[in-house]
Amino acid sequence: MSTRPLCLVVDDSRVIRRMATDILTGLGLRTAEAEHGLAAVEFCRKTVPDFVLLDWNMPEMDGISCLRALRAMELAPRPIVVMCTTENGMAKICEALAAGADEYIMKPYDREVMLDKLAQVGLMERA
Amino acid sequence: MDDLLQEFLAETTESLAVLDVELVRFERETSDATILSNIFRLMHTIKGTCGFLGLPRLGAVAHAGENILGKFRDGELDVTPRAVTLILRAIDQIRGLLAEMEVTGAEPAGSDDELIGEINALAGGTEAAAAEPVQVDVSGPCFTDDGFPVAAELLAEVAEALEQHNTAPIPPAPAPQAAAPVQALEPAPEPAPTAAPRESEAKDPATAASSIRVNVDVIENLMTLISELVLTRNQLLQTQRVQKDNEFKVPLQRLSHITSDLQDGVTRMRMQPIGNAWNKLPRIVRDLAVATGKKIELTMQGAETELDRQVLEMIKDPLTHMVRNSADHGIEDGVHRLAAGKPETGTIALNAYHESGHIFIRIADDGRGLDLERIRQKAITNGLATEAAIAGMSEQQILQFIFRPGFSTAEKVTSVSGRGVGMDVVRTNIERIGGTIELSSVAGRGTTFLIKIPLTLAIVSALIVEASRQRFAIPQLNVVELVGVSDRSEARIETINTSPVLRLRDRLLPLVSLRGVLGLEPCENRDRFVIVAQVGAHTFGIIVDRVFDTEEIVVKPVAPILRGTRFYVGNTILGDGSVIMILDPTGLSAAAGQIEAAEGQSGQGKAGAADAQSGDQASFLLFRTGGSELKAIPLELVSRIESLEAASIENVGGRHVVQYLQHLMPLVPFDDAHQWRESGKQETLVFSDNGRSMGLVVDEVVDIVRDRMAIELSSARPGLLGSAIIAGKAVDVVDVSHFLTQAFTDWFEITAMDRPLRQALLVDDSPFFRNLVAPLLASANWKVTTATDGVEALKLREHGHQFDVIISDIEMPNMDGLALAGAIRNDPRWSGVPLIALSSHATQDDMDAGHQAGFDQYVAKSDQAHLPENLARAVRAASARNQAEFELRRAS
Repeated sequence: MSTRPLCLVVDDSRVIRRMATDILTGLGLRTAEAEHGLAAVEFCRKTVPDFVLLDWNMPEMDGISCLRALRAMELAPRPIVVMCTTENGMAKICEALAAGADEYIMKPYDREVMLDKLAQVGLMERA
Repeated sequence: MDDLLQEFLAETTESLAVLDVELVRFERETSDATILSNIFRLMHTIKGTCGFLGLPRLGAVAHAGENILGKFRDGELDVTPRAVTLILRAIDQIRGLLAEMEVTGAEPAGSDDELIGEINALAGGTEAAAAEPVQVDVSGPCFTDDGFPVAAELLAEVAEALEQHNTAPIPPAPAPQAAAPVQALEPAPEPAPTAAPRESEAKDPATAASSIRVNVDVIENLMTLISELVLTRNQLLQTQRVQKDNEFKVPLQRLSHITSDLQDGVTRMRMQPIGNAWNKLPRIVRDLAVATGKKIELTMQGAETELDRQVLEMIKDPLTHMVRNSADHGIEDGVHRLAAGKPETGTIALNAYHESGHIFIRIADDGRGLDLERIRQKAITNGLATEAAIAGMSEQQILQFIFRPGFSTAEKVTSVSGRGVGMDVVRTNIERIGGTIELSSVAGRGTTFLIKIPLTLAIVSALIVEASRQRFAIPQLNVVELVGVSDRSEARIETINTSPVLRLRDRLLPLVSLRGVLGLEPCENRDRFVIVAQVGAHTFGIIVDRVFDTEEIVVKPVAPILRGTRFYVGNTILGDGSVIMILDPTGLSAAAGQIEAAEGQSGQGKAGAADAQSGDQASFLLFRTGGSELKAIPLELVSRIESLEAASIENVGGRHVVQYLQHLMPLVPFDDAHQWRESGKQETLVFSDNGRSMGLVVDEVVDIVRDRMAIELSSARPGLLGSAIIAGKAVDVVDVSHFLTQAFTDWFEITAMDRPLRQALLVDDSPFFRNLVAPLLASANWKVTTATDGVEALKLREHGHQFDVIISDIEMPNMDGLALAGAIRNDPRWSGVPLIALSSHATQDDMDAGHQAGFDQYVAKSDQAHLPENLARAVRAASARNQAEFELRRAS
């Protein structure tokens, strides 16, 4: 059965990718990892994820460029993208939303916060 | 320890290493936004990860660092050495905390307020260790955009939250943790990972990451297993050789291939870029430069060059030590540099590249060079050598003292270098892994070290040989060819004085008998083999009794008790289960070159032998004639040494000749005062090729030695190129061309016909050959311009120089002879110039390649006697062609 939603975790830190993956798999989702925007775009060319957890500051291609690239690819079905970073300026949030992000999550987050977000974007039902 | 924390330590340590390098780069190129954003991102990631893991102390330091980097980025703060130093201190602090965490598994208690305070004071004066208020731009187009309902809702939430408390960011939250980490003195909330149950089965294998991290031990174990597999495979192959054609043959072949592939694969797995060993260096040089007030630039080339991680580990410390030495002692301070007419900023250049199965690493500085006088003094004071012994040594030999234990040139021990490790340790480390280190230094110009190390240490291909019924392995890398020698065969071992030599294609090859150097029992065996081996530029022969197969052998380190001998690098187990020693060609080469050289200075044996490995070396024939002083001639040029019967020498019209190999060979004395003997033997050095020979009569052949080709040119006396210190003795180096032209006066006539064409360009990277060939050309009335490589030669073209002939070496750095020929032929400016290759490699393939590239003539370097003739011929041919082309154009 592979009906469980597939999440792509995009972050340049192995530690954070691991942690996010642990939380998401703990919530019953499937996960894949990419270490920067370019790798994420490459991944999506082959497999379209249901959900992309996207870091902002990354080498090669940063989160916002990756987001724009993903939206320009017009993937079907359209993945839900949640921007995830410690950048806390409102201008940044606006920029991300304008570029096609569905949601925005602050680092550091934990299982509860993630569950909330997943519920907000309709991937999870809040218990 | 929690393996997530372990992962964090590993990742952060890597990031810190990159930060060190990038910060130093950034300090030099403050305008480079890419570097800065990279630095900022790394610091930011560290801070972010600390937030996740609940590490407030680390997070606070990272935050302070990020804060100052942000100000750099936004142009609010100038990049000053002090600011960079503070960030580097923050990095060091983080590194220190990580080290403690590695041991204890938890973030150590304590406070970094002092450092953070300093950083914040620099960053903005008033800003204390508190979180800065969040600046929010509440206006913006996206508020009116209702395309994203969830987002709009979120934004409304945010706006509401902002109205309530002016500082807090997004509501749902451990977020304040990150925003105000410095104040989080109370225990951090339960970190996220423990709350999240791990269900690894939930991961879809199809979407796993494409690279994984593997513990080094796993790879090491794998390598050991593969070594054993190789041995077992060899055993099977051995059995197979005995019983031919059984059903195991085919599967065994497959097994053999798979084993080789597996071995390649694991070897590759162990490869790491050398840049990993260089990471620390920019920081070290930077700190040193700040501490000593010098300006030093460190350039690194070839950081991506890969080598075995075991080798990498072994050279890390030596490299660091050498770079530190260069920065501390080599590079002068700005005032002295400017006074010496050099740029104020000193340069240390690191360069790594692959060549013929080895890695070469060059460390060059443009500093003051090593102080020969001080080394001399120190060697005497430390009792490393007597004054008399040093007086007879070449500069090179004196420089080698820095590799002796307990030697340090630093007048006073500074805080940075001279910390107990000396160059002796450096050399020992490098030699332990089968590498060599060479040194050259020019006073006022700088010092260069060249390290040569094997790509891998574990498994090598080796030739198995036998001497006195014992088998030995010789690394295949060093073996050039095999020559069978016996009384019946054409190749025979001859003796010059006490040194055995082999005449091989008009060259005399110095030999070393394996039985002799190892002190084995004599054994009756008339059929023997010479293994022609090469170490660096030195080619020599090893006499053995029998030669078996080549085998892939697993190198086991040599037992400590045998470390003192210089002839072994290790031992191995053969396919049949026997244990044999692996020979060290470097040690044997030293034995071949220095058989007698160390005689006068016993006790120097080891150091002298090691000298023989370094540099631009050649074998010299030492002899006496026309006086008691020693004379030398490069052995390459001598094709034979004959003891002629004095009675057989005839005097024909004032010229002395002898019947030699069905020809009359002219004999030339060193000077006119030579007294021709009536009876007995006349020692004669024969120079010959293609039936044309000439003999230089000498009084006594003394020795064959090997040494650096450091000739001091002088034209004091006809027939002498100059003088040199060879094997610790002052000798005159004889100019063969002078005697050639005496013997064959027609060489003048040949070249005289071409008088109007007189400009020659000589391209060769070896100063020795330039010095040898240029006078030869000059003696035939050529005006000679020299260039050290193709690039330099082409520069002359750019400057509009014209030549009548170009003579070029093939193997040169930067641009080799073949590329040069191509460049010359493809540009009309020089395309008509006759081009002559002058190379030490002269097989048919080499010649074909040379002609292909556009050379008109190909002359072997050892074939020096033909050079003037070939030159004249090439020029004639070319001018005839030009004439024909000219007439053709006129006719059409």
